[in-house]
Amino acid sequence: MKKVIVHSERCVGCMQCMAACAITHSKTRDLFSAVLETPLPKPRIHVGVGLFNEGFPNRCRHCDPAPCQLACLPGAILRDLEFDTVLIDPDKCINCASCAMACPFGVLRYHEHCFAPPGKVVAVKCDNCIERQMQGLIPACVEVCKVHALTFEEPAEALKRKTDEVARSVSAGVSQSDLTVGFTLLNTHKRKQIELGRD
Amino acid sequence: MNDLYASRTIARDSQLLLKKAEQDLLETVWDRYQSQLPNCGYCEMGLSCRICTMGPCRIDPFGEGPQRGVCGADADIIVARNLGRMIAAGAASHSDHGRDLVEVLDEVSRGKAAGYQIRDAQKLKRVASEYGIGADGKEILQIAGELAHAMQEDFGTRKKGLTLLQRAPTKRREIWNKLNITPRGIDRETSEMMHRTHMGVDNNWQTLLLQGLRNALSDGWGGSMIATEVSDILFGTPKPAATAVNVGVLKKDQVNIIVHGHNPVVSEMILRACQSEDLLQLAGQKGATGINLAGVCCTGNELLMRAGVPMAGNHLTTELVLATGAVDMMIVDYQCIMPSLGSAASCYHTRMISTSDKARFPGMEHREFHPDNAAEKAREVVREAIENFPNRGEVYIPVEPVNAVGGFSVETIVDALGGTAQPLIEAIKAGKIRGAVGIVGCNNPRIKQDFGHVNLAKRLIENDILVVDTGCAAVATAKAGLKIAEAAQMAGPGLREICAAVGIPPVLHMGSCVDNVRILVLAAALANALGTDISDLPIAGAAPEWYSEKAVAIGAYFVASGVYTVLGPMPPITGSINVVKLLTAGLKDVVGATFHVEPDPNKAAVAIRRHIEERREHLGLPFVKV
Repeated sequence: MKKVIVHSERCVGCMQCMAACAITHSKTRDLFSAVLETPLPKPRIHVGVGLFNEGFPNRCRHCDPAPCQLACLPGAILRDLEFDTVLIDPDKCINCASCAMACPFGVLRYHEHCFAPPGKVVAVKCDNCIERQMQGLIPACVEVCKVHALTFEEPAEALKRKTDEVARSVSAGVSQSDLTVGFTLLNTHKRKQIELGRD
Repeated sequence: MNDLYASRTIARDSQLLLKKAEQDLLETVWDRYQSQLPNCGYCEMGLSCRICTMGPCRIDPFGEGPQRGVCGADADIIVARNLGRMIAAGAASHSDHGRDLVEVLDEVSRGKAAGYQIRDAQKLKRVASEYGIGADGKEILQIAGELAHAMQEDFGTRKKGLTLLQRAPTKRREIWNKLNITPRGIDRETSEMMHRTHMGVDNNWQTLLLQGLRNALSDGWGGSMIATEVSDILFGTPKPAATAVNVGVLKKDQVNIIVHGHNPVVSEMILRACQSEDLLQLAGQKGATGINLAGVCCTGNELLMRAGVPMAGNHLTTELVLATGAVDMMIVDYQCIMPSLGSAASCYHTRMISTSDKARFPGMEHREFHPDNAAEKAREVVREAIENFPNRGEVYIPVEPVNAVGGFSVETIVDALGGTAQPLIEAIKAGKIRGAVGIVGCNNPRIKQDFGHVNLAKRLIENDILVVDTGCAAVATAKAGLKIAEAAQMAGPGLREICAAVGIPPVLHMGSCVDNVRILVLAAALANALGTDISDLPIAGAAPEWYSEKAVAIGAYFVASGVYTVLGPMPPITGSINVVKLLTAGLKDVVGATFHVEPDPNKAAVAIRRHIEERREHLGLPFVKV
C-alpha cells in the first residue's frame, strides 16, 4: 500500500505542506476563502526547526499499534483498515489530551474544526487525506511539495531506492556526489554560522 | 550570565538589556527571528520569484521538481534577477538620501532653509570645481546653488557618466568603460535595473549581474558619494573627536533623546535644538541637569563624526535601548528603523516621533520635517521630550559607557599623516602596515551581535593591518574598546608603532554607511599616488554581519571598484552555482576583485591576510606566503 514517505534531508522549510493541509481540511478548500473561515482551518502536518535551522516536516506516522489509540479513554481513535489510517472521531473525543501524552512524535493538536461539532475543541491530527485517497487523489502535502521531501509511494520502492543510494556510496573508488551543490553550500554555511554562535 | 543572552550578543549592555526585556515581556528582533525558523529554503537560495502573477514560482534545487518558472526563467536568471533588485533597492535608498541633501543645499542657496548653512566653504569650492563650477567672483551661496543644480543632473538621464567617477583611477574607469558598466545616471541605473528584471526583459544572468554592478556603482560613486560630500559641506567635514558608545551613554539625570535613522538633515537640527539655551533651561526646570543627545545607527554616526555625539548602540540594540526606561524620546527619519519600535516604546514612557514623509511607522507620532521648517520642528519635539522627562518609570542603565575616538574623514587622515598620504604609503611599502581593510555593515540576528566585527578587527590589527570601519560595524568595535589609543596594544608591532607615532587608534571610525565612499576615495587616492588601479592595492573589505539591501549595493560597488570583499552571511545566491562561481571567482578576471563568503571571522582574517600578501607580492613589495 502506498504511504507518505518523508525525506527530511530535502525539506527546505517552505511550509507549503502546512498551507495545503489546512486548505484541504477547510470548508471551502480554496486558499483565499479558507483564511476567512470560522473556525480558521489549521494544518495537521507541522514543520519543525532542526539544530541547524533546517526544516523537518512532522506528520502522524499512523503507528501500529498506535499509542494514541491505546490511550484514548472514550475509544474515539480507530484504525481504517483499507487505508491503514488512524483516525479520530470528533464526536466521541472528550478533549482529555491522553493521546498527546502518549504520542512520542508530538503530532496532536487541539482546536475546533469544520468537521467537528461546532464550538467543540477536539484532538486533531493527520488523517492521511483519506477523503482524497478515496477519490483517487494523493495526500495534499505530497501534492504540493516541490522538492519531493514528501512522496507517496510503496515503502518497499522508496527503500529500494535508498538501498541503491547506500550501495553506490560504498562502491569502490567512489567520490561523494552531491544531491545539489547549492543546497549543500547553503546548509554548510548555516551550520558553520550556528556552530560559531554556540561557542 | 544566562547562556541565552550570551549566545545572542557579545555586547554586555545588550546581554543585560535582553534580560530586562524578557522581564518586561518585550518582544525583540531575536524572538521574531526564532519564530521565523525554519526559513524558506527557496527564498534563502534565491530560487523563489514573485516578479509576476504568472507565478509565484520556485525552482527545485534537487533537480526533480520544476526547473523553470512559468515564463521559462531558470535558476540562474531567477537568482540574478533577485540579486539585481536587492542592489536596486539598496542603491535607491542611498541615492534618495543623497537627493534629500542636495535639496537642502539648494534651499540653503536660496535662503529658504532656516537653520542650515554652509559649514565647509572650502570643501564646497573643491567639490564645485570637480563639477566644473568656478569659484571666482561668486558668493558662497551662488556656488552652492550651482553645485546643487549640477548634482541634480547626476541623478538624471542626460549624462553618459557621473561626475565624481573622475576621482577613480584611469585604469579603473577604463575597465568600467570596456565592460559597459560606467554608471550614467543615479536614478537611471536603478530604473534600468527594475526594467531589466521585469518579466521578459533581461534574461541573461551575466548581463543582469553586470547591470547590478553598474547600479551599485551609481550608488558608490554617485548617490552615496554626493550624500557624504554635501553632508560635509552643510554640516562640516569630520575631525577627530572624543566620544563614547554603548547604552551607558544614556544619563539618569538628563533628558535623553535618541536619534535613529540616517539623514543628518534631521539629526543636525535636533542637535542644535538640544544645545539651545532656553531649552536647556526648561530641562533644568523639569529636574534634569541637561539634555543628552545620543544616536543609534547611521544618523548617530553622522553626529558622532562631526560633533562627537555619543552612540547608544547599533542595529540590534535599537529596541533594547528602550528597555532602559531612560529614553524620553526617539526621533527617527528613514532606513533600518524596525517597525516594532512603536510597540516596544509603548512598554515605557518613550515618545516615538517619525519625521520623514517617506517613512511612517506603527505606534509613532508623525511630525514631518522639511528644509524650511526643520529647525523649528526640532525645537518643538525637543521641548516635548523635555516635558516627558518627569514621566519616567524605572530607569535601568546597567553599564558604564566606553570611550572612543571618531571623526576620521579622508581629510582628517591625510592631515594626521602630515598633509599627504605619503607616510601611510611608506609604512605599507616598508611592511610596517601590511595593508588596510574596511569593515562595514550591519548586525544580523543570525550572528551573535558584534562577534564578527570585533573578532575580525582584532585578528586584522594583530596582523599589522590597519582597520577602518563605518556604520554598525564601527559602533561594534568602539563598544569593544578598539577605538582608543590604548587599543594599539592589541595590534601587531608594526601597526602599534605607526599608531603611536601618528596618534591614532588601530581602528579608525570613518563614518556612516554612505560614508563608505570615504573608503573609496581613500583607496582611489592611494591608487592614484602609486599609479596603480584600486585592485592592485593591498586592501580588502568585509561585511561580517550584513543584513540589508543597502549592504548588497555597497558590497557590489566595492567589488566593482576592485576591492576584494568578504561577507559573513550568505547572500541568496546558492540556488545558482553559476552565479556563485562568477561572484566568488569569475569576477577576478572581470573587475579584478571578488566576493568571498566566510562566517568565521578568524578564517575571514586569514583569507584577507592571504589576499593582502598576494597583492603585496604583485606590487613588488616585501611579502610573506600565507
